[in-house]
Amino acid sequence: MIPTSIVVSDALEPDFPVIYVNKVFESVTGYRADEVLGRNCRFLQYRDPRAQRRHPLVDPDCVSEIRRCLDEGIHFQGELLNFSKDGTPIVNRLRLAPIHGDDGIITHIIGIQLFTHAKIDLNTVSYPVFNPKTTSFTQETCPILQLSDEVMAQNIFSRLTPRDVASIGSVCTRIRQLTKSEHLRKMVCQNAWGTEVTGALEHMTNKLGWGRLARELTTLEAVCWKKLRVGGAVEPSRCNFSACAAGNRLVLFGGEGVNMQPMDDTFVLNLDAVNPEWRQVSVKSAPPGRWGHTLSCLNGSWLVVFGGCGKQGLLNDVFVLDLDAKQPTWIEVYGGSPPPPRSWHSSCTIEGSKLVVSGGCTAAGVLLNDTFLLDLTMEKPVWREIPTSRVPPSRLGHSLSVYGRTKILMFGGLANSGHLRLRSNEAYTIDLVEEKPEWRVLEYNGVGTQNAVVPPPRLDHVAMSMPCGRVIIFGGSIAGLHSPSQVFLLDPSEEKASWRILNVPGEPPKFAWGHSTCVVGGTRVLVLGGHTGEEWVLNELHELCLASRQA
Amino acid sequence: MTSSKTIVLRSSDGATFEVDEAVALHSLMIKHRIETGGADSTTIDVPEVTGNTLSKVIEYCKKHVEAPNSDDLKSFDTDFVKVDQAVLCHLAKASYYMNIKGLLDLSSKTIADMFKGKTVEQIRETFHIKNDFTPEEEEELRKENSWNLFV
Repeated sequence: MIPTSIVVSDALEPDFPVIYVNKVFESVTGYRADEVLGRNCRFLQYRDPRAQRRHPLVDPDCVSEIRRCLDEGIHFQGELLNFSKDGTPIVNRLRLAPIHGDDGIITHIIGIQLFTHAKIDLNTVSYPVFNPKTTSFTQETCPILQLSDEVMAQNIFSRLTPRDVASIGSVCTRIRQLTKSEHLRKMVCQNAWGTEVTGALEHMTNKLGWGRLARELTTLEAVCWKKLRVGGAVEPSRCNFSACAAGNRLVLFGGEGVNMQPMDDTFVLNLDAVNPEWRQVSVKSAPPGRWGHTLSCLNGSWLVVFGGCGKQGLLNDVFVLDLDAKQPTWIEVYGGSPPPPRSWHSSCTIEGSKLVVSGGCTAAGVLLNDTFLLDLTMEKPVWREIPTSRVPPSRLGHSLSVYGRTKILMFGGLANSGHLRLRSNEAYTIDLVEEKPEWRVLEYNGVGTQNAVVPPPRLDHVAMSMPCGRVIIFGGSIAGLHSPSQVFLLDPSEEKASWRILNVPGEPPKFAWGHSTCVVGGTRVLVLGGHTGEEWVLNELHELCLASRQA
Repeated sequence: MTSSKTIVLRSSDGATFEVDEAVALHSLMIKHRIETGGADSTTIDVPEVTGNTLSKVIEYCKKHVEAPNSDDLKSFDTDFVKVDQAVLCHLAKASYYMNIKGLLDLSSKTIADMFKGKTVEQIRETFHIKNDFTPEEEEELRKENSWNLFV
């Protein structure tokens, strides 16, 4: 009795990857299980394990028939020329049978092979053996396909953008195979978005995979509003606090209490917990209480506070906190000559450790248009003003969003306009990698034309950067009757940027202004607070989900 | 004048090249061979690389070892990869095998740039790749990737 070789393939995955082979298969073909799992069985048609296409003596009509039977979900029976790992030709009397799951869908294909010695002389055969209607002979003259998988995937494709990698999968079967690798997709995302951003996205990809995540962040097909109820309480209640995300934890500091008194307490909300609830962080000493300040996240679990309005007037001090320290302590950072004291300014973090601060309002009520940077990686951090020859009009309540690792997009705010102060919907960009960085006006595409979309002017809105570099804007205090929950999208790297309206299903927050937003895990925008005219609500969070949470 | 040790490299088609040891050591694979091969090894076989490609690789190593800080290194590199596709791919393959990071990065980046901004058809034309998908597979791909066209 001839021992039977058995192969089982997964019919739910693309290209029927092998998930099981028995010992007979291994001993007859010479391929070990670990060499073939995850691959389509067609490698048996190659004379050499490193070949890119099947040997010309393999009957292409039979291969087409196999394909047809798989597509139609029916049995196949036939004979096919195969090769063992050392190149010996063998005849495979093959039977393929589909296996159905409970709901009738084909979940697996089982292949039963009887291998016998092939009585052919490979040396007397000349090309082409069959009708030239069969393809892929010319792959041999193609230089790039002669490169190994590692060189192609790890050295060449890893340099392309996520979108390019998705599209080159359509070029030929080999490239498609290579681009499906999760490892490659992750490298591509890392190279395109930076390791900081991809690190934050890591836990999302366990369920989605990098390919799908990159796609969803590009198309925003899964975007939706969700509501999140959390426990605990931030008491005493307050407004004008500042909040940001450190990983999956939201941190809140300070704010303005009921009697306008500046608060100095710190709260944390751990979204990873089964029942997330606000907890006060017990710190050894707190910075002076304040409101209208900024709280930003540095590398990992570090936070930094700047400026704001305290008991004795406006502040320009800097305090940092390590949330993961055994005993979290706010430490003051003295940075040489600090920027003028201010409130309602905007801040952001570049490359995980450089704090950038701009604009705001002074004690005398004067609006500012400066830009300052504090590099917190240095032993003795020193404030440095970034002098630019052209400055955007002074403003408060604007947003700063970091994109492309070293670039900042400034949008909106209440800005000086002649003698007046008007809400703005202008955007400016700056690239701090340049030797002499300059703020440049970001021109909008199609302004003045009928179809042009531009967000209504606003201040105190939400602006958030996505990994691919586009920026989302919504909310804020908007003049007129425009809906604050309309979501706008912009790519600041375009020469003439086009605004797009993003239609988001689900229930948006009842916005007005004064809320705080944080970004969690790169794909969730959490909106907390928000003065709806009644009370400051911190137990109900609204979440703008950018990508699916599960597959 | 100090006499520097020379190494002979032999390509797959038997061509031999005499190079300074310092230049040969630019290839970590050769460095490893020399360090583990014993003092007598002055001829090293490079069976995965043909003579034509090996001579170009040596040219690259020479420039990068002898004048690593020269101002025209950048323009040397730019001109070095202005070659036809087949040569470029051979350089990538050889630099991977011979473990020469700089040349691997240079050739890979050049090839990657040839993919950017091209449609699938243009890529096939540029690289002479045959479309070996069945019509059914093509339809599946078209559906899978329709998002890419409209964003």
